Amino acid sequence: MKFGHRFKETLKKEGFPPDWVESAISYSQLKKCINRLTNELAELGLEPETLRKLLKHVEDYNAANRGDDDRPLEYLLSGEQDDGESEKKPESNQLFHPKLLFYVNESTGELDSAHLNEETRHKLQLLALETGMSNVRVVEEPQPTESDIPPSSPTSGIRRRAGYRTVEVPLTSDSEFFSRLAAELSGLEDLQEREEKRMHAEIEQLGRQVARLTDPDRRASRKIINTWREIFQVYVESGIFFGTTEVDHGGHDAETAAERFQRFASIVAEKGLVDRLKGSENLRALNRFMGINREILQGLRFGEINRTAMTKILKKFDKQSGLGVRSTFPRRIEYPEFSEHLAKAVCAEVHTQILSSVPQLDDYSCPMCMDIKWRPVRLRCEHTFCIRCLIVMQTNKQHYCPLCREKTVIDACSDNLDTELAAFLKKWFPQEVKQKQRYNEHMAGVDQYGEVYTDKCCVM
Amino acid sequence: MALPKRIIKETERLMAEPVKGISAVPHEDNLRYFDVTIDGPGQSPYEGGVFKLELFLPDDYPMTPPKIRFLTKIYHPNIDRLGRICLDVLKSNWSPALQIRTILLSIQALLGAPNPDDPLANDVAQKWKEDEKGAIETARQWTEQYAKP
Ligand SMILES: [Zn+2]
Ligand SMILES: [Zn+2]
Repeated sequence: MKFGHRFKETLKKEGFPPDWVESAISYSQLKKCINRLTNELAELGLEPETLRKLLKHVEDYNAANRGDDDRPLEYLLSGEQDDGESEKKPESNQLFHPKLLFYVNESTGELDSAHLNEETRHKLQLLALETGMSNVRVVEEPQPTESDIPPSSPTSGIRRRAGYRTVEVPLTSDSEFFSRLAAELSGLEDLQEREEKRMHAEIEQLGRQVARLTDPDRRASRKIINTWREIFQVYVESGIFFGTTEVDHGGHDAETAAERFQRFASIVAEKGLVDRLKGSENLRALNRFMGINREILQGLRFGEINRTAMTKILKKFDKQSGLGVRSTFPRRIEYPEFSEHLAKAVCAEVHTQILSSVPQLDDYSCPMCMDIKWRPVRLRCEHTFCIRCLIVMQTNKQHYCPLCREKTVIDACSDNLDTELAAFLKKWFPQEVKQKQRYNEHMAGVDQYGEVYTDKCCVM
Repeated sequence: MALPKRIIKETERLMAEPVKGISAVPHEDNLRYFDVTIDGPGQSPYEGGVFKLELFLPDDYPMTPPKIRFLTKIYHPNIDRLGRICLDVLKSNWSPALQIRTILLSIQALLGAPNPDDPLANDVAQKWKEDEKGAIETARQWTEQYAKP
């Protein structure tokens, strides 16, 4: 199946919202532009074969990194703005004036290159000589003095060469092509901004809802809290949109993300977590959570197919026109990082707004014993440990904080107990706090009476 | 004495999310004793070798660092004939916040970047400084001879 067709089908089938579909890259329109451009060029005697040969020659020169003084022609995407690095991010509504230029020696009428075959050179010379008579026009460049010539930089606008005329081939379909593409890309960017805002509101709302449903102070049942906690734990471990392990880090493509999401959903079902969420409000909230994730997935997929469409259409542009634009294009227009950017921003929100409503034990474990940080002690360096580990460190004369190596362990005392964190832990993890409290007391007994204490009350 | 939560958690994570090129499996009858293997890092003379180590967590771990030793013979300026390793984080720079995982990563990095200025095996370090090419060649030969799986 041809890509254009597949693209259209995907846009239709995937259930994207209508305004997304409208903003998609208009692959078939752009293809028509290319066809018109090919005709324009053919009328001028510049068939793709000829142009490709010329550009191959230019490329060879660039590759060899030699002076580019005898490049026979150039295809510049935007003459005026083309001053290299400073124009990395063009305005998205910028008009494109692509220019096809080649150089002719004024005195001899020779085309500025000895590396072309006779036929091609002849063709181009004819074109140049027809100046003014046909639709080829000659731009007279002022004669620069030697010092005016900038040190050869391949990106510097229309280069001026002593004794040469710059011949510009006027084309219209290419301007149309690039203006259209640029407008569509900026449209996609706007769409992304809108979507981000919309989802932001949605996530915030759901976050508030989950917070309310799981608030122990509002007598949410322990069972409900634990169920939500487990769902979110599975969610984080599933690493749907981003990997979190050493081996798998960074963003996932839509296919991987869809797979992971599927797996997440089936684990939640297998564990019977849905059934444990009693009450319609909880179930509704879970459905919304799933819905938000599906939307992120759709955003990813939409971004991916549009990016592919853009790559394909540029490839087609080059193949059919022979103008070799692909190597320079990415610097001119950037594809908006639709998928990754949106997914990243929204995932961050899901974490801060929704997942954080239900604290996870792992986020409150002591870096030393990896058990819950009970009772929590905050050192001067702001690092927190459980009181048991602090005692162990102090008895072992470990004066420095294990995390930052500041000398903050030695002077910690009862003033360092973090009562606020203690209240929080008690509220969210009453079971774990009770267990750790028992353990701490037991270990204090061991400290006092020695290992025999262990034998007497093996409560662990 | 029951196994501390920390050791259980570390072991679980090592099993669930293994580090690339590293394995650490506790003995069934002594959960403080691990069989470790480290793959020689690419672009090092240890590339292609699989090195066996033993790792033991002392009673007061993590107050004191794990005890680790190479079992496979290896030619390296910071590892001596008995397989003992000269690595700051295993000695003065140990911190109870470090873990088995981080330590094994440090050892893997040490294989990729030998440091002959802080030697444990003096003769090897000497050779390394005088004739690096030759030393690397020897290390490669030893890998070939002793560390092939
Ligand atoms: Zn602790
Ligand atoms: Zn600290």
